[in-house]
Amino acid sequence: MTRQTIPRREAATRLVAPLLVALLSVGTALVAHADDLRVLVHNSFSLPKPLLAQFEADSGIKLAIIKGGDAGEMLNKLILTKAQPIADVVFGVDNALVVKAMAANVLDPYTGPASQRAAVVSVGSAIGGLLSGGFLPVDYGYVTLNYDRAWFAKQGLALPKTLADLTLPAYQNLVAVQNPATSSAGYAFMLATVAGLGEEPAFDWWARMRANGLKVTKGWSESYYTEFTRNGGTRPLVVSYAASPAAEVFYSKEKITEPPTGSLSLKGGVFRQVEGVALVKGSTQTEAAHKFMEFMRSPAVQQALQTSMWMFPAETGVTRADVMRHAVEPVAFDNPTPDVIAAKGSDWVSRWTRVVLK
Amino acid sequence: MKFEPFALSLSKGWQRLRQAQPERRQAKSERRQAKSERNLGLHQTIAIGIGPALFLGVMLLAPLVRLCAEGWANAPTGLIDTMWHDDYLRWRVLWSLMQAAITCGMALLLGLPVAWVLARFEFTGRALVLRLLMLPFVVPTLVAGMGVLALWGPRGVLNEAILFVLGAGYAVDLRDTPWLLLYGNLFFNLCVVVRAGVDALSQVSASRVAAARTLGASPWRAFWRVEWPAVLPWLASALCLVFLYCFAGFGLALLLGGQRFATVEVEIYTLVAHELKLAEAGVLALAMVVLTGGVALAYGVIEKRLTTPVRGDVIALRQARTSAQRAGIAGALGVLFFVCAAPLLAIVWRAVTALVTNPAVWDVLRDEDVYQALWNTLRFSVIALVLATLLGLTHALAAQRSVGLRTAAFLPFVVSPVTVAFGLLLLYPSWAASLPLLVAAYALLAYPFVAKSLAAALDSVPEHLCQAALTLGATPWRVFWRITLPLVAPALRRGMAFAAATLLGEFAVTLFLSRPEWATLTTLIYQRLGRPGAANLDAAMVLACLLMALALAAFMLIETAPTARSGRKKKLTKRTPSRA
Repeated sequence: MTRQTIPRREAATRLVAPLLVALLSVGTALVAHADDLRVLVHNSFSLPKPLLAQFEADSGIKLAIIKGGDAGEMLNKLILTKAQPIADVVFGVDNALVVKAMAANVLDPYTGPASQRAAVVSVGSAIGGLLSGGFLPVDYGYVTLNYDRAWFAKQGLALPKTLADLTLPAYQNLVAVQNPATSSAGYAFMLATVAGLGEEPAFDWWARMRANGLKVTKGWSESYYTEFTRNGGTRPLVVSYAASPAAEVFYSKEKITEPPTGSLSLKGGVFRQVEGVALVKGSTQTEAAHKFMEFMRSPAVQQALQTSMWMFPAETGVTRADVMRHAVEPVAFDNPTPDVIAAKGSDWVSRWTRVVLK
Repeated sequence: MKFEPFALSLSKGWQRLRQAQPERRQAKSERRQAKSERNLGLHQTIAIGIGPALFLGVMLLAPLVRLCAEGWANAPTGLIDTMWHDDYLRWRVLWSLMQAAITCGMALLLGLPVAWVLARFEFTGRALVLRLLMLPFVVPTLVAGMGVLALWGPRGVLNEAILFVLGAGYAVDLRDTPWLLLYGNLFFNLCVVVRAGVDALSQVSASRVAAARTLGASPWRAFWRVEWPAVLPWLASALCLVFLYCFAGFGLALLLGGQRFATVEVEIYTLVAHELKLAEAGVLALAMVVLTGGVALAYGVIEKRLTTPVRGDVIALRQARTSAQRAGIAGALGVLFFVCAAPLLAIVWRAVTALVTNPAVWDVLRDEDVYQALWNTLRFSVIALVLATLLGLTHALAAQRSVGLRTAAFLPFVVSPVTVAFGLLLLYPSWAASLPLLVAAYALLAYPFVAKSLAAALDSVPEHLCQAALTLGATPWRVFWRITLPLVAPALRRGMAFAAATLLGEFAVTLFLSRPEWATLTTLIYQRLGRPGAANLDAAMVLACLLMALALAAFMLIETAPTARSGRKKKLTKRTPSRA
C-alpha cells in the first residue's frame, strides 16, 4: 500500500506548488480598482516612472495606464467600446485621427487652464465646431525621410532634392516606407505626399516609386531594423521621424557629437504630427482626468517626454533637452486639414494599396 | 535505378494493404468493442468536457460571433459578392493555402528522416538537441526575422560569402521571394514535426520491427510496413498543426516574404485593427474558419482510424556504428542547424558582440524593468501553463468520444486572434484590461498543443492494459492514474513544452490591452525595437537571448524533471534491447 500512496502524494505536492503560485499572483494583481484613473495610451507612450509616481503622490490619484497598441488601433478599441468605455482619458490621439475620434463621439470637451494657454502647435481651426477644445495638444513631431549619412558619403550619391528625384534610376531600390494601412508613420507620410503634391500627382508618384523598387513594410520597427542600411538592411532612406537622429545620438554606443543619420525636408515628404490628450466620453472620473491632462502639459512632463517619447514639447517656453539639437525641425510640412483627412483618409489608403501593392 | 526499390516497395505495400483489408476491419470491430471499456461514458464525457467547451465558448466563439454581429449590423450591401469577386483577396486566400501546404510537405520531407535519426541513435547532446529544437517558437517574430535576414538577407552571411568567393554581381536577394518565407515557416515549424516524429518513433514496437527484419525485410521495408503506420497518426496530427499555423501565419510572412506574400490573417488584422471594417473582417474570418475547419474536421475523422495501439516494448537507442549511421546523424544535425539553429545563433552572436563591444549593454540586464519583466514572464507563463494543461487534459479526454470536440481543439489556431481580441473587448469591456482575461487569452492560444498531443497519445493506449486493471477491480480513476497517465506522460510533457514555448513567445501579445507594469520580456524587446539607436538594438538582442535561456530552462524542467509517474512508466514500458 505504501508504494501506491507515496507517488500520489509526491504528484500532489508537485501540482500544489505551481497552483499556489498561480493563485497568489492572480490575487495580487487583479482588476484595476474602480477609483483608479484609467489612462489609455499607445504603445510608444513612455514617461519616467518617478514622474508618474510624483503625480500620484501629489494628486492622490492612482493611475492605471492601459496600452492599446498603435495609435490607430488604440482609437479603434476606444470607438468599439464607447457604450462602456475602457478608459477615462486617452493619450496619443493625433491630428490624423482626431476628427475620426470626434465623429465617433468618443471624446468630451475640455476647457481647463492648459487649453486656454497658447501652445506651440495646434491641430488647426479647420475642424471648426467639432473640436471645441476636446483635444489638448501635448507634443508634436515630424514624420519624414531619414537617411544614412555613412552610406551616402561612401556611395558619393547626392541627397534627393525633391520627392521626384527618388523616382530616378539613381535612387532605385533605396527607399523603405511603412504600409499606411498598418502603421501610423506610413499613414502620415502618405497624407503628406497627397497634401504636398496634390492627389493625382501623389498617386502618380507612388506608382513610379513602386516601379523604382520601393520597399513597403508593416510597421516602423520592421523598416528601421530590417531595411535601413544602418541596421543591416539595403535601404539608406527610410520613413521615420525628425527626432530619430537625436535618438540615435542618445542611444549610441560610444559618445558621438554628430548623428549617424539625418532627416530630409522635402516638399510633400513631411507631416507634422500633433499628439494630444483628451477626456473620454462617459468617464466618471472627470475631475481626476482633468488633473492628468493638466499634468501632461506641466513643465516636468514637457521636459521629460522629449527624451522618452522623442517628440517636441507643445507647451511654449519649455527648455529643449540638449540632445534634441540633433533633431532638426523641418522648415515646412504638408498636412491635409484634419477634416479632409477624416473625409478622405480611408479612401486614400485603399487607393494607395491598389497603386503600390496590388 | 535508384528509384526502383522505392516504387517496387510502394506497389507491394499497396498490395499488402489491400490484402490486409479484412484483417483491418476485424481489428476495427475489436477496437469498437474495446472502446466502451477504455473510453469514458457519456455522462463522464460531458462532465469532463464541459470545462474546455465552456472556455472555448466564452473566450473564442462568443467574441467571434459578437464581432461579426457588430460588423453585420452596418455591413454594406452586396458585401460578400464584392469580396468573392475581389481577385486580390482570392490571391491572398490561395497563397495562404499554398504556402501552408508547401511548408507541410517540406516539413515532412525534412522532419521525418531527422526524427528517425534522433529516435534511433544515441549521441552526446541528443537530449539537448530535442529541447533546443523548440527555441524558434519562443523568439519574437521581428527578432527571428532579423536572425534569418542576418544569414540569408541581402547583406547576410550568404551574400558576404558570395561576395568573397564570386565577387559582386552574383549577390542574390532572397527578400520578396517566396523562398525566404518558406524557410522562415520551416524555421518555426520543423520542430513540431520532428518532436512528434521522435516521440512516435520511440513508441514503435521493437519486437514487430525485429520480427519483420528476421523475416527478411530490408530496413526500408521494415520502416514502410511497421514503423510508418505506427507513426502516421502522430505525424498527421503534427502536420495538421503546421498547416493551420502557416495558414494563419502573420508577422513572419510580411517580414520575410514582403507585402506581396501577405496572408489572409494580415488582411483581417488590417481590416479590424486599423480600418474597423468589421463586416469584411468577419466574412474573411468566417471563411478562414470554414476552410481550415474543413481540414481539421477531415483530420479529426481519420485520426482515430489511423491509430495503432502502442506495445510495451520500445526500440532502444543505439550507438552509431557504421560510417553511414554516423553520416545520418551528421546529416540530421546539419538540417537542424541549417533550418533552426543558424538564425538563432545569429541573434546570439549579435548579443555577444554587443556585450563585448559595449559594456553599457550589461546595464540592460541589471535594469529594474528587466527584473520586473522576467518575473511577469515567469508568473504569467506558469499560471497560463497550469490552465492550458488542465484544459488540454480535459479536452483530450472528452474528445476521445467525439469527433466534434476533437476538431474543436484546433479552433484557437483557426480563429483569427485579432477578431478574438477585439471581440473580447466588445463582450467584456469591464474586464478588458484585466490580468485574468490576458492570462486566459494566453492559455487559449497555447492549450491546443496539450490537447492535440494528448489526444493522439490516448488513442494509442492499449486497451488490454486498462481492461486487465478494470477486471482486477481498479476504479476508472485509478486506471487513469496508474495506467493511462503514465503511458501518455511523454506526450503530455511534449504538449506542455510546446504550450510553454507559445506562452513565452506570446504570439498575439500586442493585440490585447496591456498594462506597463505587466510588461514581459517579449514586450520589452518590442519596446526597444520601437525606438531608434544602436543601444536599443543591442538591448533587444540581449533580451532575446535571455528569453531563449529562460525558455530552455523551462523545457528542461518540464521534460526532464523526474516524476513518480515517469518512474513507473519506465517499469511499465521497459526498454528492451532491440537486437543482440
